[in-house]
Amino acid sequence: MVPAEEPLVQPKAKDALHHGPILVRLEGIVKRFGSQVVLDGVDLEISAGQVVSIIGQSGGGKTTLLRCMNLLETPDAGTLQIEDRVICAGGRVSAAEDLVKLRQKVGMVFQQFHLFPHLTAVENITLPLTRVAGMSVADAIDQALRLLGEVGMRSKALALPATMSGGEQQRVAIARALALRPLVLLFDEPTSALDPESTADVNSVMRTLARSGVTMVVATHELAFAEDASDRVVFVDCGRILESGPPDLMLHHPHEGRTKEFVASFSGRGSAGHRGGAS
Amino acid sequence: MPTIFHVDWFSYLPALVEATLVTLAFTVVSFAGAASLGLLVAVARLSSSRPLRWAAQIYTELFKNVPPLTPIFILYFGLASMGLVLTTFEAGCCALILFYGSYLSEIFRGALLGVPLHQHEAAQALGLRPSRVTLYVVLPQALRLALPGAGTMLVDLLKATSLLVTISASELMTEGTLITSITFRAFEVYLVIGAIYFCLCFPLSRGVLALEGAVRRGMPISPRRRRLHRTVSNFSVS
Repeated sequence: MVPAEEPLVQPKAKDALHHGPILVRLEGIVKRFGSQVVLDGVDLEISAGQVVSIIGQSGGGKTTLLRCMNLLETPDAGTLQIEDRVICAGGRVSAAEDLVKLRQKVGMVFQQFHLFPHLTAVENITLPLTRVAGMSVADAIDQALRLLGEVGMRSKALALPATMSGGEQQRVAIARALALRPLVLLFDEPTSALDPESTADVNSVMRTLARSGVTMVVATHELAFAEDASDRVVFVDCGRILESGPPDLMLHHPHEGRTKEFVASFSGRGSAGHRGGAS
Repeated sequence: MPTIFHVDWFSYLPALVEATLVTLAFTVVSFAGAASLGLLVAVARLSSSRPLRWAAQIYTELFKNVPPLTPIFILYFGLASMGLVLTTFEAGCCALILFYGSYLSEIFRGALLGVPLHQHEAAQALGLRPSRVTLYVVLPQALRLALPGAGTMLVDLLKATSLLVTISASELMTEGTLITSITFRAFEVYLVIGAIYFCLCFPLSRGVLALEGAVRRGMPISPRRRRLHRTVSNFSVS
């Protein structure tokens, strides 16, 4: 398991954060790939300190929704607002300067980790610290080692990604995404490519972050994580948000038929609180 | 027992050393130029500008499909006949740069295409500006992918400097021809010249392989990365 070390983000009282300011606001987001409508008028607000889990069938639009939040995909219509700045409206992105700054505010952890294979674990983290934040190399190394310590990977600081397990790579990827202290951290099915033991390790790191008050949006099939680590669960189906609410309600007493079907499809594998090998 | 070695090689040693240095100078200058040109052309081939892509493609196809002697003769004899006289070093280097630049551009193009799109996205997601995505994420990975092919081209270029005998460029093969014309012992002379080429090329080939291995193992090559690794090791110990 991941050893507990001094956290960079100090734990905060979650109740105080639930009513924090809105950090991300999506209004009427539409995204098409050719003739296929992948997102069809999505409205979503993420407040400071919230952990929002996005659940739904594969191909339903979860990943595209996350990618629209940091503009790795440009929405065809709708408005994306980060804090009080409109970053994208009506399919047009603001000046390039805003795009670079936006991505510093909205970090992302990918399903397949996407560490830079030519760099060691510590260099994967010092790269954004020195080349984006303008930190000195010595300070960047200090910060990177602390972050690696937080995810239990300090001993692998000089290891190349190719020599790490999937779970180890994902923990380094989380540390890298945290390096610039983003306002919001997006997770795109972070444990889908992992074995149960690695999944438990990564979930443990994510739970620690959630308790620390990091604002997180997690596209996931881990209903156990969605239930006990999120403040809100959003069900996405065919590019629309069908239903959202507190995890207890969403996973045990959903209103919409499709949500019931989706949650029920996991029932054969155990109760909502004990799925996917999550710890 | 009869011997094939009759030439007084000791008296030719200074000339051979100088010719070897000229060969190495042709190799270093031409490879540096060809690698730079090849990288630029590869980037142009992948650019969104259609005229740039076409210009790069025409250059590549042109030089890939003519014998290497053609640019050598055009630049040295052809331009001289039109009033522009280049030295043998200038003409030789330019010809080798143009010829090997086309091959290296294909190697670099393949390498740039070999860096997965998700690596660009991961770098963008960290807030790196496009130029820094290219500089710190894409190019280092592409150069690693290009290393085997580019290393082979380097050795090939060193051997191809022998073609410059046709313009008497004072390199090894020209020196061999001179010694042969004095001693009339072609077999012995070209055997020795071949041995010198082998002594230059073989360590170079092995060196490129060793570099590939070091890069694969993640050994820091640049002084900056070596310093960073030392600092991290010190942090870990303290």
